[in-house]
Parts: sequence; structure tokens; C-alpha cells
Amino acid sequence: MTSPGGQGGGALSTRGGATSKRMKWAVELSLGNCRSRGDRQSKDGDVMYPVGFSDKPVPDTSVQEADRNLVEKRCWDVALGPLKQIPMNLFIMYMSGNTISIFPIMMVCMMAWRPIQALMSMSATFKLLESSSQQWLQGLVYLVGNLLGSALAIYKCQSMGLLPTHSSDWLAFIEPPQRLEIMGGGMVM
Amino acid sequence: MAWLVVRLAISLSLLYTASAVFEDQVGKFDWREQFIGKVRFALFDTHSQASKKLLVATDKNVFASLNSRTGDLFWRHVDKTGPEGHIDALLMYGQDAVVVVGNGRLLRSWETTVGGLKWEAVLDTGSFQAAALIGVQDFVKYVAVLKKSAISLHDLSSGSQIWVENLPDSDTVQYQTIYSGGNGLVFVLGFVPSSHIVIVEYKIEDGEIMKKKSVEAAWMSSLENSCAVISSGNLLCVDQTTQSLYTLPLQSAEHTEMRQIHLQTLDLEVASGFQPVLTSTQPNPAQPPLAEFFLQLSPDHHILLQLKDDLIAPLRDFNPSYLAAFATSGEKTVAAVMTPKNDTACSINLFSADTGRRHLDTTIIYHMDPNGGKPNRLYVHAFLKKDDSVGYRVMVQTEDLTLTFLQQPGRVVWMREEALADVVTMEMVDLPLTGTQAELEGEFGKKADGLLPMVLKRLSSQFILLQAWMAHLWKLFYDARKPRSSVKNEVTIDTLSRDEFNLQKMMVMVTASGKLFGIDSKSGTVLWKQYLEDIKPDSIFKLIVQRTTAHFPHPPQCTLLIKDKDTGLGSLYVFNPIFGKKSHISVPALPRPVLQTLLLPVIDQDYAKVLLLIDDQYKVTAFPSTKNVLQQLQDTASSVFFYLVDSSQGKLSGFRLRMDLSTELIWEVVIPTEVQKIVAVKGKRANEHVHSQGRVMGDRSVLYKYLNPNLLAVITESTDIHQERSFVGIFLIDGVTGRIVHEAVQRKARGPVHFVHSENWLVYVYWNSKFRRNEFSVLELFEGAELYNSTVFSSLDRPHPPQVLQQSYIFPAPISTLEATLTEKGITSRHLLVGLPSGSILSLPKMFLDPRRPELISEQSREENLIPYAPEMPIRTEWFINYNQTVSRVRGIYTAPSGLESTCLVVVYGLDIYQTRVFPSKQFDVLKDDYDYVLISSVLFGLFFATMISKRLAEVKLLNRAWR
Repeated sequence: MTSPGGQGGGALSTRGGATSKRMKWAVELSLGNCRSRGDRQSKDGDVMYPVGFSDKPVPDTSVQEADRNLVEKRCWDVALGPLKQIPMNLFIMYMSGNTISIFPIMMVCMMAWRPIQALMSMSATFKLLESSSQQWLQGLVYLVGNLLGSALAIYKCQSMGLLPTHSSDWLAFIEPPQRLEIMGGGMVM
Repeated sequence: MAWLVVRLAISLSLLYTASAVFEDQVGKFDWREQFIGKVRFALFDTHSQASKKLLVATDKNVFASLNSRTGDLFWRHVDKTGPEGHIDALLMYGQDAVVVVGNGRLLRSWETTVGGLKWEAVLDTGSFQAAALIGVQDFVKYVAVLKKSAISLHDLSSGSQIWVENLPDSDTVQYQTIYSGGNGLVFVLGFVPSSHIVIVEYKIEDGEIMKKKSVEAAWMSSLENSCAVISSGNLLCVDQTTQSLYTLPLQSAEHTEMRQIHLQTLDLEVASGFQPVLTSTQPNPAQPPLAEFFLQLSPDHHILLQLKDDLIAPLRDFNPSYLAAFATSGEKTVAAVMTPKNDTACSINLFSADTGRRHLDTTIIYHMDPNGGKPNRLYVHAFLKKDDSVGYRVMVQTEDLTLTFLQQPGRVVWMREEALADVVTMEMVDLPLTGTQAELEGEFGKKADGLLPMVLKRLSSQFILLQAWMAHLWKLFYDARKPRSSVKNEVTIDTLSRDEFNLQKMMVMVTASGKLFGIDSKSGTVLWKQYLEDIKPDSIFKLIVQRTTAHFPHPPQCTLLIKDKDTGLGSLYVFNPIFGKKSHISVPALPRPVLQTLLLPVIDQDYAKVLLLIDDQYKVTAFPSTKNVLQQLQDTASSVFFYLVDSSQGKLSGFRLRMDLSTELIWEVVIPTEVQKIVAVKGKRANEHVHSQGRVMGDRSVLYKYLNPNLLAVITESTDIHQERSFVGIFLIDGVTGRIVHEAVQRKARGPVHFVHSENWLVYVYWNSKFRRNEFSVLELFEGAELYNSTVFSSLDRPHPPQVLQQSYIFPAPISTLEATLTEKGITSRHLLVGLPSGSILSLPKMFLDPRRPELISEQSREENLIPYAPEMPIRTEWFINYNQTVSRVRGIYTAPSGLESTCLVVVYGLDIYQTRVFPSKQFDVLKDDYDYVLISSVLFGLFFATMISKRLAEVKLLNRAWR
């Protein structure tokens, strides 16, 4: 597809090549230039198009019945995405083990962060699903999938011992008890 | 395999705890001072003119050589404590120093230049009386030792015994002195009290008795001090009751009675109640003594006399005079006499011994320390100057055991504070803030008086701060230009201020002689000293910090309770621990003997903690006792308890304070004294903080600690010391209710027991008499998985007994003292500081003394980082916190927290004093000494500039790309 602009550019570039090779195209707005261009164009016998003009017809993008199914499918894809990831996550979880080192931690963080991020941008996803007829069901499935994902991450944290669920995790916050009696003394001097 | 794992675990855990001082850290934050004690004998090495040696033997059984130019130790030999190592006599001839040790047990000869032992001879039993060098024909060849019933002669060069002879009638006659004038004879002088003097004459070659005679002397009570041999064998005695001098030529046979010379004929009189003292001098043991002698007639009256042709003539009267001493250099013998000049100074003058004439320009002015004691010993070092006149230096020992070395015209060459060889108790006090910091503090302390004055005040204090900062900058700039060595600023009492991390503190030390010291903990400089007069020996001291430095503008306040051992009466001495000044606070009179003290957390309006003194009628005296305090005491009386332990009756009793400051007995525990005896009781330290209330188990549950602040550890020892039946008892008793929380008996064990009671644990060391080894035992108390009451602790409401865990370990060394480290918040792990008799201080991680150490390692124990149980406790040389700076005769270790959580200040005292810092969990809150600031900052700056440059480059590139 050759656009008039492109042609014009080509014409210009040949011309421009004489002055500066680096320019791809240039629009010259000055009158004198215009005249000279016009002179040349008239010489070439071309019509001058405005910038961005295309002489090809633009295809019709109005929604058709066949696309509706496609949209539906696409929306289900979006909604089921988090659920599909769960087996993969399970596998990663199994592989990374329960030791606390940088890689398992990174994986857990990723696993936890992704559903949270997805849940936070829930409204954007809903906008995506707007066109679908089963919007609410898909939304629910998407939500459940993400919740499952985060539950999995929490479970992983739990099995790695990162959750403060034991009394020992709160030990540092226990204040020493206040003593009620004052006592002292010793051996008879 | 399992064994391999265990060993791996142990070595890993050791790696974790291993911490030693690096070579370049030596002396950076630690120092040691070595002491010798009270000087009993001091001899100057007059062997050569250039000699700088001063030999001393002290009451601490120390024999040492001091550098007389600097006062430093050349070498020091510390003998056994007690009578076994007691130094009876010190004699010196040439390069040899002969010492009689342990009541005549050993005779030793030391080489004085390096302090090496030349020979040692074991003497026959019998209590020591006297020792003397014996010369024959101008050569000193022998040393004679007189015992109660025998005399022996030893060769000076080899120590071999030449002969030993029994003394005649030794059961009735008390032989006390030996004399030899270098003429081949040894005279032994003895006496029968109130009857006669016995003189036995021995031949040097074979010990044959040449002559024996007794002379009537009914007035005689003691030969020592009151008798002396002068001028070619004339025995001279002085008697106070008859006010006479007696003379007797030793060698002549015809004299059977002593010649009496009344002191009145010489116009002299002995002060009433004063035992006159005769001092003669024998410069060379192979020559007879000089004819001149000092007679001390009263504490401050000496007279120089001369015996000439059987006549005694006074040469010079020194009235008043404190001290007098002879000294010899070459052929000249001089006498130095100390006379009072005014209230604060004494002058020492030199007189020629044979004429009594004063040497010109020989005055030394000795300034007496107003906070010190009176001089009581004078040691003179005389030397010949180039022009053949006699020069001299003196060493003065005072009542407070200060050794001062002076030279003309009164310059103090060096000073040693030998009272510090016997530290009884000590405390560390924070230093005050700097002036500027105090200014800021003061601003908040003062009462508000309107908005405008406050603003003005704030502005003025800010201005002062700015000024101080400018001055500091200027000083930095000024110092930077000087060479590094000259910048070293001396610590004085005026420049004292707290450092950033409160690492520098004031060490307040109380010594047995009654002298108090304030020592800078960073450098070991004595900043103040105060001698308390009229302190009886063996008094009991208790030092209490009533107010710390935290309450500006109130000065810190320490109180020293001194209890007289005989009368039992106590007295209080209140002072400022930073400047050592006595406070002018009215001190309560203590008419009754004080049994114990109790420092309450209650403070008066001046922020001083209240001290309760309990007398023998169990009445309580409060100090300070203002109205405010009494009011507060009435409010808190019902919650104030105290306990008393009477070891002689085996009784522990608990009391409660009543409103009217009387007390009521609430409990009593009797431990029968016929079976066992209470040897020690310890509560927990008041300034101890426990950060963690429990321990995390392997399954991540919590085992809560039993943290009873009122818990007492009582240690008993059995009266039966048979090795099969002896035992050590441990009682853990609640001091409020008297409830015995735990009781344990260690069978076949013997004391001395050293123990530390802290947090929820008790560590004690005893001697296992069955296996003949030292053992450590640790007791830990836990509440269990649940806290009974997490908000308040009351001993009166503890229904559940604690769980007690115990484990024992073998320790492969004897122990002289035990203490635990202490930090500000108690987060840092604890170490035990073990003082070993070798002088090393071992820092033993408490981790090794954990009754939860498993015998078989499991998943959970590994999770908990527990070291598998091994019966033998390791001693690693890198755990010695004092590397080669050994501390002789460690008596106590004092630990104090610093401002840094990781750091604990440690002071070890005994004969020496050693101060250092320990980091039980390493320096987790401090950058390391070798931290590479240059590298880190250059990398940082490099990265910063690289970022800037690359950012700029990226911008240019983007722009260029945009233009393409």
C-alpha cells in the first residue's frame, strides 16, 4: 500500500537527499516552497493530498452476529484465566519447596501479588466483560479464580511458616508484667 | 553418620559464637592496671649507680620489682594467698634477693634483673623469727634463718644448708634476733619475759656453740623494735616503764648486767603509752653496724643518738618529725627525716648520720593529699652525685596505701594507688551530659513562665548550641593541622562528659583500706580519690547509687554504708560519684547495728531513691526521710517486703513493712545448721531487663519463662565434709511469701559454690568429690505453654508451681568467680563470664548451659538451634576476653550495660583491675572497625555520577532518535 503521503515523502526525500540525507520526510509550509512543489507536482501530474489521507476505503467495523460468539468466548477466556493458572501454580509450589530462600519467596510473592493485582483492577476487567451477556457470571468466575489463587498463595505462606499464626510470632509484643511487690534484703551484714 | 551430624552441628554453633579480639583491637577499649598491695619491705638496688630497680614485698604476698623512674613493674611474682605465701623477710645483697616465705617454710633467692628464681630451699618446720645475711671477712656468703627452736645457715650462692642447730632451752626462751658483725660469729638473742636475756654465740664454720650467757633484764617485754645492736656488738634496749636505755657489749664475758642509762640524763622522755622504737643501720652485713641510731620517743618525735666510748650522746633532736630513715650510698650513710611544714606539706631533709649535720640543698617538699592519709613509711634511696655529694630520692607510703616517689625539690616522679589491689565493691555511674546538652535538658526541666521568656530561652540555648558547634568545628580544624600524636587529649574531671553511646562511665571503687576511687572506665585514669579516715580493718561496705546522672540539675548521689565489724554500728557516707565530693546532706544517725539495706524504687522530690536501713530490732530508718518520702512510704508500705538470712542460725525470715516503719514477721524458713550451712543468697539484679517472655519451641509454640522478680537462690553446703556424704543444696525461695519454689540437692558435691541467678535461670559451679572435677549445673524455670497472668506479677497469687529443667556439665578448670553479662534491653544473648585462677576471663555462651540441650537431635531441636548435649564443656582460647592480660587473683567481676544494646561493660578486679567491653551477640548495632568507608562511599558516589551521566546520555540519545 502506497500512500500519497508516502509518495510525496518519496518525492520529498529525493529532493531532500540533495540537502540532508537524514530526513525521512518534511512538510514545507512556506509559500515559496509550496510554489516550487506545486510546480514540480504539476510537472509530475500528481494531486496533492493532505497528510494522513488515504484513498482506500475503510473496512466496515460494525458488529456482526458471528462476532458475538467470539466476544463471548473471549470473555470466558478472560474469566477463566485465573482458574487455569491454578494447576500451574500448584506445580510451582510443589517444586519450590518449603525452605525459606530467595527463589521460593519470590515465587510466593508473585503468586500472592498477581491475584491481588487482578482483584484490585476488577472494575477494568468488568469493563472488558461489559459486552458479554453473561457478564455477572463471568465476573463471579473471575473473582472466584483469583480468590482461589490468593488462597493458594496464603496456603503456601502458611506451609512456609510465614504467617503469624502461632503464639511465638506475637512473643516479642508481650510486655514484661508489672511487679506488685517490692522486695529486697540479704544476708545479715 | 549421626555422630558426624552432631559434630557438624557443634562446630557450626561454635562458629556462630566464636568471637575473639583481633590483634589491632588490643588495648583499644580495654586496659589493665597491675597492683602489688601494701608494701611491707622495700629495698633499693644500690648495686650500681644506674640501677632503677626497687624491690618490694607486700602484704598481698607479692614480690615485685618496680622501675623507680616510672613506677611501672619490671616483674612481679604473686605467691599463694594466706599464710602459706606470706613473705616473712626480704634481704638483698648485690644481684640477689633472698626471701623467706610462708612462716619460714621456704627460702628463695631471686635474680633481681629479670626476676628469675636462682634457688629454693625447703626449711625445717618451726615458726619464723628472723633472718639475716652473714658476712665473713668483708664478703657476704651466708644467710641465717632463725626459727622458734633452731637456727640454720645457708649458702647464699647455692642455697645449700651449711648447718642447722637446735637452740638451747627453746621452750622457755623466745629467740627473736640474729646479729653478726662479720667476725666469724653469729649471735642469737632471746629472752625470757620479765626475767633475762639469753645470748648464744655460734661459730659460722660448723655451728658450734662458742658461748652462752644470760643477762638479767626484768623489764624486758620484747626484743623487736625496742632493742638493736649498734657499733661493733653493743646491744641497746629501750624501756618505757623505767624510762631508760640499756647497753650490753655482746662479746665481753665479764658483763653480767646491762648498763642502765636514764633518759633523764639525756633530757629525754618517752611519751606516755608509746612504745619507743630503736632504729639502727648496718650498711654492710660483713661490717658492724654504725654507732648512730634513731630513737623514737613519741609518734612525732625522733632523736638521732650516737654511742661513743660507752657514752650515749644526742646528735640531733627532731621535734616534731613524722618519719626517719637511714640510707647508705658507698661509704656515706645519711638519715632522712620528714618534718611537718604546715598543714598540707611536709619537708624531708637529709642529715649526715655520723655528725647529724644537715646537708645543704637537700630539702624535698612533700605535699600531702588533702583527700589522703598521713605518711607512715619512708624509704630512702641515696646515691652519690658526680661531685661526690649525696643525692637522694624518697618513697613515701601513706595510710591509704599511696606510694609516692619524690625527688628534689619535691617533684613527684610517680604515684601508685596500692589501695586498688583490694577492691571490695564497685558501681558504674553514667557520666553527666556536656554543658550544652545539660543546657537543653535544663530548659525542659525548668518551669514555664510565660510564652515570651520561653521563646527567648529557647533562642538563647540554641545560640549556645550554635556557639558550641562552632567551637567544636574550630577545634577540629585546629587539631587537624597538628601531628596526630600531640592531639591526644587527657581526661580530666572537667572534660568529663558522656559519649554518644554511653560507653564511658565512672567506676566508683571502694577499697578495703577505706579509700574511694573514681576511675574513668575508658582510660583507667584515677579522676578522684577520697580517703575515709577511721575505718577499721575488716569493715563491711555496701555501695548504693541513690540518684543517677539522669536528673539534671540534681547531682548524682551515691551512699556508702560502712559497718564496723566489732561494734556492728553502721555509718553512711554520701558523696557525688562524679566528682568524689562529700554531699552536705543530713545523714540519719544509726544508733543500732544495721542488719540490711533495701533500696526502694520510690523517689523523693529530688529524684533520689529511698534507702531503707533495717536495724537489729527490725525497725526501719528511711534515708532521705522527708515528709514527702514518709507519705509515699505510708502509701506503699503494704507492698514492701524484705528478707534476712542469718547464716549462723540457718534462718531465713521475711518481713513486711508497716505504716509506722516497724515491721512484722510474715514467714520463716529454718535450715538446720547441724546438717547444712547457708553460704550464699542471691536475688536478681534490679537493673536487669528481660526482653523475651518465653522461648520459641521447634513447633513454634511458646514455653513461657517463670520470671519471678522476688525469687531468691539460697545455696547451702553440708557440714559433713566426707567426700561420700558431702552435698550442696540449692533452694529457690520466693522472697515475699517464703514459699520454696524448688529444692535440689547435689550429692557428693562440695563447695566453694559460685553461682549466677538471672532471668529464669540459675547456674552454679561446684566440686564433684566423687569424680574429682568441677561441674556446672543449670536450672531453668518455665511457666509452661500458658502465662498465668501476663499483666502483673504478684508473688501472693501464683497457684501453679513452675516447671524446672536441669542439666549438668563437666568444666575442665577450677573457677574463682562467675558473673553474667548484662545489656540495656536484654535482647542480646547472655554470656557467662568465668574468672579462672590462671587470671583469664572466659566468656562462655549461655547457649551451652541450656537444660533443653537434647541428647538426640531431632527436627525440632535443630529448628530451635539447640546444641546437642555433650557432657564436657569446651574452653576455647578465643573466648578469653582478656587475651594475655591476665588478672591475678580475680575476686569479682562487675558488669554494666552501655548505651549500645550489643555492648556490655566488664570490670574484673582482684589484685589487678581489668576493664573491657564484650559483645555477646557480636556488634550487630555497630559498623565494624574495618568497615571500608572509602570503598562504600566511592562506590556510592561512582554510582550516583554514573546514573547522572547515563541519564544525560540517554536523554541525548532519545532526542536524537526522535529526530531521526
